Amino acid sequence: METPLRFDSLLVHGGLEPGPAGATSVPIVQSSAFAYETADALEDVFRGRAAGQVYTRLGNPTTEALERRLALLEGGGTAIATASGMAAITTTVMTIVRAGDEILASSSLFGGTFSLFRDTLANFGITARFVDPLDLESVRAAINDRTRLLFVETVGNPKLDVPDLPRLAEIAHQAGLPLIVDATVTTPYLADGAKLGADIVIHSTSKYINGSGTSIGGVIIDRGVFNWNTARFPHFEPFHKKYRQFAFTARARKLVHKDVGACAAPFNSFLLTEGIQTLALRMERHCSNALVLARFLTKHPKVAWVNYPGLEDAPGHGVATRLYGGRYGGLLTFGTGSKETAFRVINALRMAKNLANIGDAKTLVIHPASTICADYSLEDKALMGVCEDLVRVSVGIEAPQDIIDDFNQALDAI
Amino acid sequence: MNITINGKETTLAENPARTVESLLEELDVAQRQYVTVELSGEILERDAFGNTPVQDGDALEFLYFMGGGR
Ligand SMILES: Cc1ncc(COP(=O)(O)O)c(C=O)c1O
Repeated sequence: METPLRFDSLLVHGGLEPGPAGATSVPIVQSSAFAYETADALEDVFRGRAAGQVYTRLGNPTTEALERRLALLEGGGTAIATASGMAAITTTVMTIVRAGDEILASSSLFGGTFSLFRDTLANFGITARFVDPLDLESVRAAINDRTRLLFVETVGNPKLDVPDLPRLAEIAHQAGLPLIVDATVTTPYLADGAKLGADIVIHSTSKYINGSGTSIGGVIIDRGVFNWNTARFPHFEPFHKKYRQFAFTARARKLVHKDVGACAAPFNSFLLTEGIQTLALRMERHCSNALVLARFLTKHPKVAWVNYPGLEDAPGHGVATRLYGGRYGGLLTFGTGSKETAFRVINALRMAKNLANIGDAKTLVIHPASTICADYSLEDKALMGVCEDLVRVSVGIEAPQDIIDDFNQALDAI
Repeated sequence: MNITINGKETTLAENPARTVESLLEELDVAQRQYVTVELSGEILERDAFGNTPVQDGDALEFLYFMGGGR
């Protein structure tokens, strides 16, 4: 067993095994396949009788080091690293649902996830129902015999609503459903999957876990706590029989992840094992800088509204305080009354980058209604909490005064 | 004592206190927290590893999720 290190130390040492020649960083094993001395030895690995690597689409030593660390950070279990956050979500859902099944999901999802559920998966006979995750009664009421999972984001991107996850877990579990949580925005630093009651935790590691915007990646962490041996999941029966609480991971690894092929690249896994070491330090700064900027914007005469769960009067403040220990993440949104003024502010920013990403060390902004949510109807945008004047800010780790100065001079432009 | 592990005959020193759990340690089986153990054709519950004795003639299979075992 691993020594019970604290979170900040696990970020640095978790899952690390002695490297060649005493190397202390995770070696990049840039090899597509792995050779065995004998046919018998390779047969044993293929049959699952022995642990070992076969082919990088199925597993790779660099990626495995990352997987070990990420699983430890979520309070235990087992992890599968994927090519992107979307690959992690797709693999997870395809492992659980079959044609004719339903997904119950939060209505305030990241746009890519919303479109995967509503459009792409609909082509395969899977129906998604979207509910307001803050309205627990409507969540309960939307569950039926075909529902196979409940999917929510810890903090909706970009709506910044904060669902009460332990209560959603209760509702899901009473109905025999797994709670799947996309924790990209909060990271395990704000709360781990165990605390939130999640059965499966997903991250787009492209964001805070990488920390520098250098590569795309995702991860699925199966906490090994959900009982798949029920009438809702007859297709899990052979996997449950052999792998018990890890039936989900076995089904994902042996079928969907292997066959879909959205594997992590070893070099990206290396960058992630490097980046994640500073997660606690960075998140602390992201959180404190976001609070400083949110307070500054609140007082600015040209700002019509600000949403940041760290503000006392923000709708998500109470739940966020209880779940995330007084830390509220690095995302905030604000409005200046119109799309036109939003564009003027973005165009006038000097340090903050205008791009479609979050979780970088740099401060990032975007106008979601005209970019990442441009394809959605006004109704869908309203569901996702995207109004025409909304600017999303992913607050970076720069000197807080420089961030304030940048927004201050940009707001002067309107 | 003779047992079969993953289809191979294996001779171990006599040890009446040997359980499935202690055997996993004794053989330094990789990824012990995830491995599934099949004892004479039956999957063994994880909780039972510590109190299931390993006896002469037993056939054990260790099973991993394919490709890296996890
Ligand atoms: C909350 C959330 N989930 C999932 C994703 C998708 O991740 P990726 O871009 O790594 O596929 C993103 C961002 O793109 C996101 O913000």
